[in-house]
Amino acid sequence: MSKLGRVVEAVEKYNAFVEDEVKRARTDKKFGTEMVKRWNEIKAKIPVGTAPTGLKLPRLALPEIDEAGDITRYLLGDGLPGEFPFLNGAYREMYLEPLQSPAIETGTYEKNGHGAKSKLNGSKNGARNGAAKLAVTEEPTRLFSGLMLAEDTNERFHFLGRHQRSKRLSTAFDGPTLYGIDSDAPGILGKIGEGGVAVDTVEDMVRLYDGFDLGSPDFSASMTISGPAPIIMAMYIAAAKRRFGPGIVPKLRGTIQADIFKEVQAQNETIFPVEASLRFLTDMMEYTTREMPRWYPVSISGYHIGEAGSTPVQQAAYTLSNGFAYAEMMAARGIPVDEFGPRLSFFLDCGLDVEYIALTRVSRRIWAIGMRDAFGAGHKAQMFKVHTQTSGRSLVAAEFKNNLTRTAAELMLSYMNGTNSCHSNSADEPFTTPSEEWIRLAAHGQAILLDESGIFKHTMNMLSGSPGMKAVERAVEAAILEEFREIERLGGVMGAVENRYQRSQIQTAAHRYEQQIYNGLRPIIALNKYRNDTEEMPEFELARTPRAKQQLQVDRLKKFKEKNAAKADKALDKLAAVVETDENCFPALLEAAEVCSLGQISERLQEVVGRFRPMV
Amino acid sequence: MSAPIRVLTAVPICDGHDSAINTINLEFIRNGIEVVYLGFHRYVSDIVRAAIQEDVAAVGISSYNGGHIEFFAEVVKQLKKRGAGDIKVFGGGGGTITHDDQRLMQKRGVDQIFFAGTSLTDMVEFVRKRYGKRPKRRPTSDAEMKLARNLTEIEDGYANGKRARKKIENRKSKIENTKVIGFTGPGGAGKTTLIDEIVLRLLHRDNKSRIAILSHDPSVVGEGALLGDRATMINSQDDRVFMRSMATRGQSGGLSPATEDCLQLLAQEGFDYVIIETVGTGQEAMPFQNKLVDQTVLVMNPDYGARLQLQKIVMLDLADIVVVNKSDQERARTAMSEIERRLEGNKRDQQLVATVAKRHRDAGVDALCDLLTEPTQAASKKGKKK
Repeated sequence: MSKLGRVVEAVEKYNAFVEDEVKRARTDKKFGTEMVKRWNEIKAKIPVGTAPTGLKLPRLALPEIDEAGDITRYLLGDGLPGEFPFLNGAYREMYLEPLQSPAIETGTYEKNGHGAKSKLNGSKNGARNGAAKLAVTEEPTRLFSGLMLAEDTNERFHFLGRHQRSKRLSTAFDGPTLYGIDSDAPGILGKIGEGGVAVDTVEDMVRLYDGFDLGSPDFSASMTISGPAPIIMAMYIAAAKRRFGPGIVPKLRGTIQADIFKEVQAQNETIFPVEASLRFLTDMMEYTTREMPRWYPVSISGYHIGEAGSTPVQQAAYTLSNGFAYAEMMAARGIPVDEFGPRLSFFLDCGLDVEYIALTRVSRRIWAIGMRDAFGAGHKAQMFKVHTQTSGRSLVAAEFKNNLTRTAAELMLSYMNGTNSCHSNSADEPFTTPSEEWIRLAAHGQAILLDESGIFKHTMNMLSGSPGMKAVERAVEAAILEEFREIERLGGVMGAVENRYQRSQIQTAAHRYEQQIYNGLRPIIALNKYRNDTEEMPEFELARTPRAKQQLQVDRLKKFKEKNAAKADKALDKLAAVVETDENCFPALLEAAEVCSLGQISERLQEVVGRFRPMV
Repeated sequence: MSAPIRVLTAVPICDGHDSAINTINLEFIRNGIEVVYLGFHRYVSDIVRAAIQEDVAAVGISSYNGGHIEFFAEVVKQLKKRGAGDIKVFGGGGGTITHDDQRLMQKRGVDQIFFAGTSLTDMVEFVRKRYGKRPKRRPTSDAEMKLARNLTEIEDGYANGKRARKKIENRKSKIENTKVIGFTGPGGAGKTTLIDEIVLRLLHRDNKSRIAILSHDPSVVGEGALLGDRATMINSQDDRVFMRSMATRGQSGGLSPATEDCLQLLAQEGFDYVIIETVGTGQEAMPFQNKLVDQTVLVMNPDYGARLQLQKIVMLDLADIVVVNKSDQERARTAMSEIERRLEGNKRDQQLVATVAKRHRDAGVDALCDLLTEPTQAASKKGKKK
């Protein structure tokens, strides 16, 4: 049995435990009285805040129950926000505005479970991150950029961040970089600097973050790349050392996507065979967990699984099981779960299907129970910390302004689920790289929901625990566990991947979705319902990388290779030799990153471990 | 019954967005079109080579990562350069391809761009109408293209109910130095990966050798097929490899009605190796009855079930080499000894090899490759056949 099997058992066992305790509270008078007493104490301690209208409201809303069994089911089965099993939230006071004048307000919490320290993966623009108190010290916005050459992206980073004290940069790479290919490789001209920034060498990495203090507590870098992630990570560290000396390493703060499983299951940006990719990833994770305590070395991503057309349940099930598989790999290296567990974070897609009402809530619960009972994790490693992005796939070109409404609904769902941070898509995404006008409107959508409206500001649990939500939670949890069982039958995540189980499930779901659109079972407004055939598709100006710039990148790279030719061969030989052994190869990769290009390293590694063989 | 339309589909280099193309492939197949799917992250040169070898009517490209103007235009240009301008190029990219782009791309010879919101039915209709009829006279500007087009004539001849015998001059003969190897075995045993690993080794061992591959996927009469082996066979996408994907078009036993004629044609073309792969076969299958195949390889999974099952597998009596692939699995040891005993009963000098084809530089695959390249071995095997 893989760990996933044990997770299924743990959840089943925990659910049975909750029901046993409910029975006990109803039959064992002493226990029942204790639970009621505890409930009353919790209620008495809830602070009261005041809305701008003068209305007084408790900062935590609880269900109106007073019977011992019901209380037990709520406290153990769902948990208060910030408490196991975290159904209602990873933290206690998410999204709430600070108390206006604490002196006159009543009640206080004990000091724990407070605040979101989450510096999350890939949040591009974003909303308040956990407790409002933290939002004061750090803006949750991530400045997402990646275009043309490193200096162009650098300029954009400085432009975007000019009004912000904390610099949270999120980096998109171009196609060749995502596939570990050098800009001077034959057959890829036209792709350099398209859709992201071209990075070939440590010198590009120096240029990319030039002028930013990489060791500052206000700085964090996010890199959206998976296939060659360990190589890019090594280049980032090499660039930081070049600029600030070796002492910088433990101070580096940020995240890299590095999620190989979801690449193989959905996004297809993989360059080494799966097992070799996982080995390089674990080598890197082991290194960052020990040497870079403020780094998040993997962002376990369901977003791309969802965007590839999976059902919401498949998205959650594959993402969670991938997460447990990474945890199993790290545990197998002998790294304590409480060391690596808190460094795992998640990235989910939120669309319009009914499951999204509770998908993240249920994911949080399963993760917590699995980590605690199958991995023996403590409080911090039980928390499922998640960045959500609204669904790009749900947006359509026809009457594209409707996309504002779609995104608004998805934002509402994301926050109902207690996401730690969120990115809202621009309405013009079906046509183009988002333009400034629509990016602004998308970001404003979040501000309107969180700052302008009173929905989430005054009371935690405002939209949790309704009978409908509970019904969705139960159904979704059962369906996720059923997926887990199927994966387990196929030999765990790795076995299922080799049987291309996740891929074929996603493809089947995607095809069904398309058919439902065409046969009308799935109404999409202005596409297959209330069509307006007179509307013309708007035209947008697209930013494309000029030929001269692409040539400049090629020339620079060639010069770098000439300059370092002798050293590069040596470093590559050494790297190859270490990869042949069982040793952690990340230190050798760090050395190679000083003098070798991305393409040189990935080609040499491919000689040793082979190339990725795509699964159709 | 006329021959199905064949198209090639692919996603460009540095692009992994295959969700749209997967859906479109499925829809094409359901509507009687045979799709040779090359996969994602593919170079122009790979697409052009495959289009010519597979002799498709058109190439469909799905691009979501930018650079489409250059990429599509380059495919058109390279096809024309090879003299295969009759193979048309169409495609789409959701909203990433603008109307301005489309105009420019069409000016550069792209046949059609589909925009977001085009129904799958419309795409199927377009392909049927536009590519349903082959031009009467088609160019054959080089030997490779001539071979590809002759194979099409044979295949289409069978589909139209008449055998195209005239294409093969010396039936039942082949060029002396050409070795023909047949691979068969149950679905999921890893035949495709194994062949691709063998091809990689053959290409390395002799830098002049040329290889032909005839690979099969199942289909029902009058319906389409997904011919997807090229996507997995990364090492076989090489200028020294001629690969042809065939649908079985309703024939049982693992091969197509046209296979034997196609194989004869290939065997007379001077390749060093001709490799033929059946579809996943059942216990009773014995696909290589013709005398053209020099060596037959049965590829098995370690988990074939109880030992009794082995008695029923006919190919265990006929194969020259039996491969237990995925031999890193727990059951492999038992499987090896059970099969060994089964083969001993045959009293022929059949070879048994354990491989892990997915493992890079696997020693078992090396050993298999040795068996396949040893000339004396092959000669002695041939001598034993009736």
